[in-house]
Order: sequence, then C-alpha cells, then structure tokens
Amino acid sequence: MLRGFGNFLIKELKELIRDPKILLGMIIVPLVMFPVLGGIMSFSVKSAQENAGKMTMLVINHDGGQGSTVFMSNLSQTITIYNVTASNVTDAIPLMPEYNATMIMEIPAAFSQNVANNTPVEVKIYSVFAGVSMFESMGSSLIDGLIANYNRDLAPNVVRTNKSVIIKGELFENVDPMQLSGLMLSQAIAMPITIMILLSYSMQIAATSVAMEKEEKTLETLLTLPMDRFAILAGKLSGSVIIAGVGALAYMFGFNYYMGSLTSIGTSGAGLDLAKLGLVPSLFGYLLLGVSLFVTLLSALALAVILSAFAEDVRGAQSLVGYVYPFLFVPSLALMYVDFNTLPFVLKVVLFAIPFSQPIIASKSVIMGDYLTAGLGIAYVAAFTLAIMYVASRLFATEKILTAKLRFKGLRDRRKVPVESSE
Amino acid sequence: MSTAIEAVDVHKDFGNIHALDGLNLNVKTGEIFGLIGPNGAGKTTALRIVSTLLLPSSGLVKVFGTEVVEHAMEVRRFITYLPEEAGVYRNLSGAEYLEFMAKFASNENGEVQKMVDEAAQICGLGDRLKDRAKEYSKGMKRRLLVARALMSRPRLAVLDEPTGGLDVLHSYHVREIIKNYVQQHGVTVLLSSHNMLEVEHLCGRVALMNRGKIVAEGEPRGLIDKFGSTNLEEVFAKVVGLA
Repeated sequence: MLRGFGNFLIKELKELIRDPKILLGMIIVPLVMFPVLGGIMSFSVKSAQENAGKMTMLVINHDGGQGSTVFMSNLSQTITIYNVTASNVTDAIPLMPEYNATMIMEIPAAFSQNVANNTPVEVKIYSVFAGVSMFESMGSSLIDGLIANYNRDLAPNVVRTNKSVIIKGELFENVDPMQLSGLMLSQAIAMPITIMILLSYSMQIAATSVAMEKEEKTLETLLTLPMDRFAILAGKLSGSVIIAGVGALAYMFGFNYYMGSLTSIGTSGAGLDLAKLGLVPSLFGYLLLGVSLFVTLLSALALAVILSAFAEDVRGAQSLVGYVYPFLFVPSLALMYVDFNTLPFVLKVVLFAIPFSQPIIASKSVIMGDYLTAGLGIAYVAAFTLAIMYVASRLFATEKILTAKLRFKGLRDRRKVPVESSE
Repeated sequence: MSTAIEAVDVHKDFGNIHALDGLNLNVKTGEIFGLIGPNGAGKTTALRIVSTLLLPSSGLVKVFGTEVVEHAMEVRRFITYLPEEAGVYRNLSGAEYLEFMAKFASNENGEVQKMVDEAAQICGLGDRLKDRAKEYSKGMKRRLLVARALMSRPRLAVLDEPTGGLDVLHSYHVREIIKNYVQQHGVTVLLSSHNMLEVEHLCGRVALMNRGKIVAEGEPRGLIDKFGSTNLEEVFAKVVGLA
C-alpha cells in the first residue's frame, strides 16, 4: 500500500464532494435534468398525439359523389371533419378559426369517378404551420396514414412484405430491420454520449483537483509530507474516478429515464427483445467493455493531471484540458452514427489511434461478438495509459510538478517555457 | 551541540538564473536560525532545498546527517515545512485539516488527537476550527498553518516568513509560540523573514543572504556590534555596500 494513500484519498473525496460546482454539475444536474427533459418530451409527444387525435380538418368537396362520401367517412372515424362550402382554399382559410381547424383538404371534382376506375387522383392538403417543433408534422403524417389505410381497403391484394433479419448468420423471422436499426441506433447513441460525458467530466475533476492544490498553495506543503509522491497521483486519480463514476451513474440513471420516456411513447423497436436476437454483449463482452472503459478513463485522467501540472490555476488547467476535448468529441460523434468497420482504412486508423475511441469501438464490437477488435483496442490503450502514467509519475516525483508552467504566449509560439521561482 | 542542517557549496540554477551561488550553511540542533535578505536573495530556494521540494543543481545538503536528495523521504519524516504563501483546503474544516496532516505523522488515533489538540491550543481558533477553512481570514489561516507545522513536534521546522500577512498582535503570538517550542521541545527552526526586527528578537543566529550566497553570519547582537550598527537592517546595508 502506498504510504499516505488512504488518508489522502479521504481528503480528496471530502474536498470534491463538498465542492458545490462538482456536486451540482456532476450529480444533481444529470439526476434532475434528464428526468425533467424526459418528462417534457413525454408530455409534448403525448399532447401532440392527443391533439392529432382531436384534429379538426375542413373539407372542400368539389366531387359530391359516393366515393368521396366513403372517403370522408373513413377519415371522420379518426379525426373531426367539417364539410365547408368554398370555391377554393383561399376562401376556406378565414373559416379555420371558427372551426378550430388546423388542416384543409380539397377533394377534386372527379374523385369518385377516378376511384371507381382505379385511376390515380390527387387530394390537396393544406396544413397550418404554427411553429418549429419536432411534432409539427404529426397531423400531416396522420392523414398520410389514414389515406394509406383507405387505399389498402380499395386494393387489399397489393403486394405486402414480411420482413426478417439475419444476425450473425442466424435467421430471425418477422423482425423489421428498420425497427431493429432504430432501436439499435438509440442504444448506439447512448453509449458514446455516456462515455464522452464520463471522460470529459472526470478530466475536468482531475485537472481541477491538481490545479486547486497549486492555486490554493497547498501543493508545496503536500510535497514535503512523508508520503509517497505516487500516492498523491494515485489519490488524485482515484478520487476523480470515484466521483466521475458516481456522476456517470447519476447521468446514466437520468439518461435511462429520458430514453425510457421516449421509447415508451414511440413505436420504434416495440416488441423487439435484443437479448433474444443476440444483440447484447455476453458476460465476456461486458468484461472487455469494462476493462476498455477503465484503462481509457485512467489514460484520460493521467493526461489531465499532466496538463494541469503545467497550469498556474484552475482556469488555466481547464483551458489546457479543453485542448483534449476534440479527441473525445470527434470519435464519440462520428461513431454514434457510423459503423467503425465500414469506414475507409485511413479513417479507421485515425479513429483507432485516438485512445478515447476505444470504449466506443469496443461497445459496438462486443455486441457483434468481435472480441479481437475490442482486445486490440484494450492493448493499445493500456500501452498508451502506461506511457502517460509513467510521465505523470515522473512529474510528481520531481520538482517539475511545482515549477513547470506553460505560458499561453509560449504555446502560441509553439514552445514550452518553464518558469521557475528564483526567490 | 550537534548539527541539524549542513549545506556545502550549494548551487541552484533555473535556466540562466542562479538562485543559489555557493551557499554554505550550518544550523545547530535546537536553535532558531534566520535567513534574511531582500527579494530574490535565494532564501526561499534554500528553504525549499532543505525541505526536499527542490533539488540542488550541485552541492551537498544534509538534515540531521541525512542527505536530502538521496534520502528525501527519510528527511520528510522529521521535518515540517511552512511555505510563505501556504494555503489550506477550502472545503475542509480547520480541525479536519489538522487531523489530515497529523495522520502523516502518526498512525495512532490517540497520537493524532493529541497533535490536533495541541495545534488547537497553538492557533487559538477555538470553535472556529469546526468551520470550513474557506471562511477563515488570512490571519486565521496563517495561525492554523503555523500550528500545523509545530503540532507534530518535528525535529526541524522550516518556516518561510512565519508571520507573513499577520497583524502585530498575531505576529507577536506566533513568535512567542515558536520561541516556546524551541525551549520546551527542542525543535530546531530554520526560518526566513523580511522583517529584520523580528529576526533580531527571535533568532539565536542569522545569516544575511544576497544574490544566492551568505554574506554575513552570526548572532544578531554580534553582527550589530561587529559592523557598528544599531540594527540588522543597517548591518545588511553595510554588508552589501549600500551604506
């Protein structure tokens, strides 16, 4: 056991937990924000669905035949329709407030005749565009659905499809690949976001924690205490891992609620059991994923510690850590939507070379049973982590942790300027 | 009297800056030794090397016979260091801070509590020790830090400007504590100060530093007499050729 590690770790945890910024930003906000966001989304979708059900549409019927009467009767089973007398849509628009209508449909004169002859006929639909929201098109989609049902009733023997998927060489019948892909995408988005947040939060914590020792002038005292210098580094890393872990749990709990709010109201992926389809990682897969995440987290934290050692204060440390963020965000955002294996070779190499890509690559590859890719990634990150940890431990073992500073002017000049106290 | 600190021809360079330029120092066990000099004289660098914070570029430094570079961890076991601009952890209470520090000096709970009680007595913060340090004034923090440096009764306390930032009354209080500790517990103290009056009253021996080396050394009274001056400030001015 490193001398002084336990005592130092307890101090670190007390300091971090009692810091209002960390408590608020890492634990309370994710716990509150996502459920609130999920609640708002759920409420919005439900109210949009209810409004769509209660939708009122004005109909200008230029036809008046049996066909259009049946057509309107079909529609009126789902939505409220009013037949209005108007020569064109311009005349009907002023009537909309009176009926509280949000759509107008114009049925052409030869509608019934065309339907009877199986000739294509066009009905015009005008929707009120009231604002920018993801549910704005819901009314229009509803009408499309109703018209599709009407068409199917007219011609019930049209070609229909029965979709199945083949996963890892095994056939799964009656599984719509579109639904499956939608469900997998929602899962594929959650993991990179979680990893991105976990890494960026923990890097911030580690950098802040080291920089605070400098800013508050406690580092000098610490370095003269009879404790292993590596215990300081280990204490900083462990404290950050623990707090970031709690933060990630809070985040995942909140995010899970948020996703649950969405999937409970949506239809995408309904009835699909990913475990039955073999699309969840095996126990070994989970183990690989955990190892990948842990070594990546360690490398990110050690990198943050190194960078913050060159900063004079917390703000400087956070700015320096900010330079690493593109390497967190780019792979997360890229791998959210694309499959690593389908990328061109050069892009594959670039993404693989970024250590922070590895847990995301691993999260996808273990699902597909590709343990080699995950294993290679772990080996690569482990080597990177060892190198970074070695640099960090050397930094703490020498006076550099106290004297090294990086000036931003120097950074612009692309050269490092060590500034030492000469008092 | 045995030697507490021995420094022989110590140099310390920061790039092109020669912070120490052949420092020779001999501090005896149980004495209060003061380093005085202007800003940039090398006082803090000397204290930091003795405290194992910085490595000398060349030369030899021993604390109670233990070499500070090769056996830094061993040296850290019997010294405490109070930096000039030391701070305390904002989100720990004064009592928690003292306990955290005491646990590096002892693993026994009884010992730790004894040290914390002693520190509480030294700093005189009373119930305010329960408050978080971010609520402390600069003077309160300094008293807490001085108490921390002395509570474990180290063999050597290295104090950089121990009364820096304190008002007259608190400075007096801290000086009395340091004096008493040396008398009662045989603690050796190496301190630096800008305040020559303070050094004159507190230190058994002083060394005047200028441009990284010691330019005069001895008992304050002896130096004053030797240079025909009325105080150490005058002595210093004469030594560096300002008067």
